[in-house]
Amino acid sequence: MAFGQAAAPRVAVVGGGFAGVSCARALRKVDPRIVVTLVEPSAVFLACPLTNSVIAGLRDMDRQRFTYEAVQADGVAFAPSAAASIDPRGRTVTLADGTRVPYDRMVLAPGIDIRWDALPGYDEAAAERMPHAWRAGEQTLLLRRQLQAMEDGGLVVISAPANPYRCPPGPYERASLIAHYLKAHKPRSKVIVLDAKDAFPKQRLFLSAWKELYPGLIEWVPLSSGGQVISVEPAGRTLVTDFERYPAAVANVIPPQKAGRIAEVAGVADRSGWCPIDPVTFESKLQPNIHVIGDAAIAGAMPKSAFAANAQAKSCAAAVAALLAGRQPGPSKLINTCYSLVAPDYGFSVAGVYHAEGGQLVEVSGSGGVSPADAPRSLRVLEATYAEAWFRTITAEAFG
Amino acid sequence: MSRLAGLDRQAIASALLAFRSGQRPATVMDRIAKGFTDEEIQAIAAWYAAQK
Repeated sequence: MAFGQAAAPRVAVVGGGFAGVSCARALRKVDPRIVVTLVEPSAVFLACPLTNSVIAGLRDMDRQRFTYEAVQADGVAFAPSAAASIDPRGRTVTLADGTRVPYDRMVLAPGIDIRWDALPGYDEAAAERMPHAWRAGEQTLLLRRQLQAMEDGGLVVISAPANPYRCPPGPYERASLIAHYLKAHKPRSKVIVLDAKDAFPKQRLFLSAWKELYPGLIEWVPLSSGGQVISVEPAGRTLVTDFERYPAAVANVIPPQKAGRIAEVAGVADRSGWCPIDPVTFESKLQPNIHVIGDAAIAGAMPKSAFAANAQAKSCAAAVAALLAGRQPGPSKLINTCYSLVAPDYGFSVAGVYHAEGGQLVEVSGSGGVSPADAPRSLRVLEATYAEAWFRTITAEAFG
Repeated sequence: MSRLAGLDRQAIASALLAFRSGQRPATVMDRIAKGFTDEEIQAIAAWYAAQK
């Protein structure tokens, strides 16, 4: 449908996280004639970035809470229900409450789901004893309570998954901030990170900061040293690798993930569980007129982060508006910036600029990178304050 | 930190160019500015200057 016809074009955005909300607002800004409906069952959004500080007792969960009033004030219609089914041919999404929302184009931003079938022993009941805390909410608070209840001398074990997963540096920031908590409150305890990988983002920076701030407190066991967790036993909070058993006082299992369930229902997820997309328009390679953004998308070199989701949302909104107007979407450049905290006053960052090249989102050569390895402590202090500013900015852009 | 919106277009462009060349000290803007061409920097500056 092109502009100039009688009916206004309709876009349904499914998912009210950083990606979906940013896209809904950007669509209204790009062209206020577009009728945008945001489909989201929760009235409250709990932001994941900085929840590792919540777990470490450094931050109140209330500061992670956001609502959808400002989004609606921008003229976005809010449908407070979950998407139950999607008919790509009939261009209709049916909600759990029975409402049918017709669309010309859909933007799917469902975030992640846990793959409950991927790690033997780890199901939803197991997560009540060995929290993943990889989606903000009750799981975050459960892990915090377990840490606070643990006796001094208890062993904390974190299991980190293979790529890809949400927030690639997240497990290592979490290990850092838990070590910060232990150092102050439970100095005889330690953290072991069992990893299904041999490398992780900002690795040099993390390892050198651990040596400096938490000597002997954090042990990282990479894949090649037998770090991959192959099963868990919730009764004894035990993580099992090929070589050893790790009975933990607190076990944080960050399990394998996939695109949010509705992606599978819509037929936009491939066998990997994630969603292949066109790198310019973010349109699904599997279903026409459905665009996928955020953590659910296979976005090439872009990490699954809130900032990347926000950048993809704006880029996708421009492309969707162009397509609805019968224009060719132009190329764009997308930015990611992501901060990690090792302590409340010790942070560093990774940044990247991306564009479509050869059908993929690739990093613009010569751009991006991580904070310098040999920086003075004052830079780490400064970047820790920027981490907080980053959070304020991105949440204000999406929800404020 | 100063707000970008409404700043002078040339000032924004000069800042971005100085971040890109490494002349202006930065934590993260140097790494980001290196991803953009001269034309893109001018376009970014024009857009921010036009915001209120």
